[in-house]
Amino acid sequence: MKETFDVAIVGAGPAGISAACILAEAGIKTIVFERGEYPGAKNLSGAVLYGHNLAQVLPDYIERGCPVERNIVESRIWYLSKDGGYSIGYRDRIFAGERKFNAVTVGRAKFDRWFAEQARKKGALVVPATVVVDLLRNERGWVAGVVTGRADGEVQAKVTLFADGINSPLARKTGFRAEPKPEQVSLAVKECIELPAEVIDQRFNVGREEGVTAEILGEITEGMDGIAVLYTNRSSLSLAIGANLADFRDHKKKPYELIEQLKQHPMLAPLIAGGKSLEYIAHWLPEGGYDAIPKLYGDGYLIAGDSALLFNALHREGNNLAMASGKMAAEAIIEALKRDDCSRRGLAGYGDRLADSFVLKDMKKYRRFGKFRYEHKELYGPLPHLAGEAAREMLTVNGVSKKQKQKLIMQHLRQGKFGLLRLARLAWQGWRSVK
Amino acid sequence: MHIVACIKQVPDTAQVKIDPETKTLIRTGVESICNPYDLVAVEAAVQLAEKYSGKVTVITMGPPQAESALRDCLALGAQQAILLSDRAFAGADTLATSYTLAQAINKINDADPVSLVLCGKQAIDGDTAQVGPGIATRLGYNQFTYVAEVIGLDPASNTITVRREIEGGSEVIEGKLPAVLTAELNLAAPRYASLPELVRSLRQEIKVWGARDVAALPEQVGLKGSPTMVREIFVPPARGGGQVFDTNEDKGNAVAGFLDTFFGKEQRLLEELLAKDGHAQE
Amino acid sequence: MPKNSRGREIAEVIPDKCIGCQLCLAACPVDAIVMDKGVAKIDPEKCTGCGKCVDVCPVNSILFEKVRKKKKPVVAAGPVPVSEYGGVAVFIEIHQDKGAEVAWELVGKARELAEKLGTPVLGFLFGSNVEPVAREAIAYGCDTVYVMDNPLLQTYLPKVYGKALAEMCQQVKPEILLLGATPLGRDLASVVATVLGTGLTADCTGLDIDAQERLLLMTRPTFGGNIMATILCRNYRPQMSTVRPRVMRLPKKDLSRQGEIKPVAFVPPQDELPRIIEFIPRAAEIGGVDITRAPVLVVVGKGACNPQHMPMFEELAHLMGGAVACSRPVVESGLLPYVRQVGQTGRTVAPKIYIGVGVSGAVQHLVGMQGSEKIIAINTDRNAPMVQIADYALIGDYLKIVPELIKGFEARATGVKGAGA
Repeated sequence: MKETFDVAIVGAGPAGISAACILAEAGIKTIVFERGEYPGAKNLSGAVLYGHNLAQVLPDYIERGCPVERNIVESRIWYLSKDGGYSIGYRDRIFAGERKFNAVTVGRAKFDRWFAEQARKKGALVVPATVVVDLLRNERGWVAGVVTGRADGEVQAKVTLFADGINSPLARKTGFRAEPKPEQVSLAVKECIELPAEVIDQRFNVGREEGVTAEILGEITEGMDGIAVLYTNRSSLSLAIGANLADFRDHKKKPYELIEQLKQHPMLAPLIAGGKSLEYIAHWLPEGGYDAIPKLYGDGYLIAGDSALLFNALHREGNNLAMASGKMAAEAIIEALKRDDCSRRGLAGYGDRLADSFVLKDMKKYRRFGKFRYEHKELYGPLPHLAGEAAREMLTVNGVSKKQKQKLIMQHLRQGKFGLLRLARLAWQGWRSVK
Repeated sequence: MHIVACIKQVPDTAQVKIDPETKTLIRTGVESICNPYDLVAVEAAVQLAEKYSGKVTVITMGPPQAESALRDCLALGAQQAILLSDRAFAGADTLATSYTLAQAINKINDADPVSLVLCGKQAIDGDTAQVGPGIATRLGYNQFTYVAEVIGLDPASNTITVRREIEGGSEVIEGKLPAVLTAELNLAAPRYASLPELVRSLRQEIKVWGARDVAALPEQVGLKGSPTMVREIFVPPARGGGQVFDTNEDKGNAVAGFLDTFFGKEQRLLEELLAKDGHAQE
Repeated sequence: MPKNSRGREIAEVIPDKCIGCQLCLAACPVDAIVMDKGVAKIDPEKCTGCGKCVDVCPVNSILFEKVRKKKKPVVAAGPVPVSEYGGVAVFIEIHQDKGAEVAWELVGKARELAEKLGTPVLGFLFGSNVEPVAREAIAYGCDTVYVMDNPLLQTYLPKVYGKALAEMCQQVKPEILLLGATPLGRDLASVVATVLGTGLTADCTGLDIDAQERLLLMTRPTFGGNIMATILCRNYRPQMSTVRPRVMRLPKKDLSRQGEIKPVAFVPPQDELPRIIEFIPRAAEIGGVDITRAPVLVVVGKGACNPQHMPMFEELAHLMGGAVACSRPVVESGLLPYVRQVGQTGRTVAPKIYIGVGVSGAVQHLVGMQGSEKIIAINTDRNAPMVQIADYALIGDYLKIVPELIKGFEARATGVKGAGA
């Protein structure tokens, strides 16, 4: 096609659209390509977004009718054995008041569509149902635009931003970034379970439009390095469980078996009882952490979001890093265009911004966390099992004295090769990996 | 030559599933699409316009969201799109719909005379096939329904020749323009839009006309202008409850068991059947 | 009358008469009029010949003689005095010089409705030399047959038939009018309903009377066959409905029945009419199979899509006096042609016996066969939708079941009354 653009963005997810909003606002001629029929197509899953990050891109997101499902007022962490589990949670009135929308759940199908519409209103061109199949390169080998699967489908652009997610056929074909290794990604399956809004209010003990998130660890991943999450949407629950892809491979486990088992767990079953499963999807999450991050920009291009493997494995914030990185990419592009230098050097502002921000700082802080988790599989098997046994022992009223019970628990621990010293070492290593 | 294509946005019935427990319709996640027969009509209109250096205007009556179906048609190469949207139009049956569309075509015709109107043969949600003929009747245009092929079009003599699918075969028929054609699926194959066309469709402004814009009489549109009314909507009684003969479970002969039951219970049916055809072993 | 280069008849200004008021400039929808030396001037290439300028000119200075093509659009007349209407009318469609079977099916249904209403059954018949058909209509149950007999009615044209049937309705005033949902019937019904400004419900599968309100209850599938809607038309007459062939039962023909045949005058329309150049019979109906007419269908699905087993299915179908049809995947695989496809994008069938072999029963398929009288499903999957709706389900390997069926059917069929040995 004859028309040229300043910026071509591949992917209309949170990263791509954040960038498009900022660029269009600055009057930069931007085209976004989305492979789905529309942004968010066939993505019924829910996600947690942070109001702060959203406001960085769209300060007036509430006035613009952002389709929020529920405002999160409580976060829970569960540590589960096969038959029971520990639960801690924190709820604060501040999250219903002055820090409202600190975190919210959204449905991705609705949110992505709405988000893309905001970019369009600001002047970006969002082209749906169009797959980017290749890259254009100029005589110096720089990325100079994209080739789509449509007739007359070449589009020249001064800068190209890749925001096409972790599972990118374009990356595979053009090699703009390396393919992640199995241990650098986790495979998650997600189910959306429909329940009436009033039932969710009751079961989670929240007011209308208020919600809860739970992060779930323990025996549920059957010894694999993984985690489950539960979010409340307006009239559905998002339940996801994932584990390291290499672990799935080595343990020969099927993801859908994990989620079916999880749904039977006594902590979860009453919360989802009577719900109707609306959708089941599987997707990859980048788990490689700081050390897996590819080269994030080069001559004529940048990479943002999941595509750049930006993911905070401890706080499960893929969408938020995507939005933040998309915004920073846009700011760097604006600078580069002003200087008329879209080379690697001209776009270096992206790397500086990321390094200076929570995005890379957090990932750096937790750089050893992934390795720690991956190497300490006892966190997902024997340990939660024993922890469960211990609590069960303590709480069972059977005439045995408490002192005798403590003895029994210590015996269990020793039998399970979890001497106090080992537990202390594990805690210390874990702490060090995230401190 | 100016061609008007009338389209409808419909729920994608291919996505509709029945809940096996409650036997009700699962509508969640069902997308709205442009009626497939209408896409064929638009493609055919665009091909004719390309051949005879004409232009295509696409119109639809519907809620504001119907705009996306119009954009799909612009991407196929239509030049102009008009959305007929007004609260007064809500609840229209086929009679009120054909009135509103005919009023709009009259207005379009005033600005740039219309030679042809194309519609899909029917919409996949209602399957009525009434709106196309209704428009033709109201406008006094010739009407060619179930068109599978446009054989010829002569702008000089103002005639069109088409092949229509009818009972037992097809007929070739020739008549004067202006005319209304309703499209069979094999009339044309909607193209995969080129990138520049798609981009154009995304940028183009879509006009919105209300009842006043098309000089529609209030008592003729929407619910008021609709003689038919729905008394009741229900899920069809499940047929089911039938007898199951499992050849895996049964050590005896399940097929023989079935035949015995069938010949026992369906005597009347079998008599009718076998009497009509003489005898079975013929 | 002058024309521009595109052959469009255009308006002309008579400069001597023009007073330069500029009203026509504002009225012109295509900006074809400009002021030139104090008088209006029409750009012939821009002019579309709409004649709007003529209407506004206060001094008749614009010449425009074209017969205004702009007919007044047909507009519904509003509610009618319902009580003046009576009789249940059936449009008797003619197919290859004979009354179409669907018309007789409708006469049977009309009989039933008319008895509930205490009103006669009327046949509306159009064609050339159609008296034998009129007699047949009486034999099937019509009390009076109104006939327009004219060579122009030999072939179907919507304008001709539309005018004829609408005028018949205006004269006879039936309270109900039924038509077959054939291509012709659906086409004609829409025209007539529009001219009369009355309600039309297409493809009804059920017709009944609300005796209290004296209303026709028209039930039809909608939303791809997943939902049924009962529709009525309270204030307009006739209450119109189309019904697909083989949905209603064919009544017994009684040649001794008495009835009246009344000719009605036919006034041909003035318009220049389209001309039918040729009729091409569908190949499948010359020597092949029409699955919509077979009383028994053996329907091959994806689960039985194997060319080697086709002779077996043919044998079963032949044995029962039926034909082999299929679901969409089988057509896509190339095993059977499109004319054999049952379903939303294929043909709608309603055989007496439907036997689905390896047909899972996608919604799109079910829509096209729900009218079948008895459904037999042969499937490995107990939970397949087709098994759920079947009257009889045989679970297991069709390779074992079908040969046993053939054998068992042969053995038992001779015992059925009426089956000549």
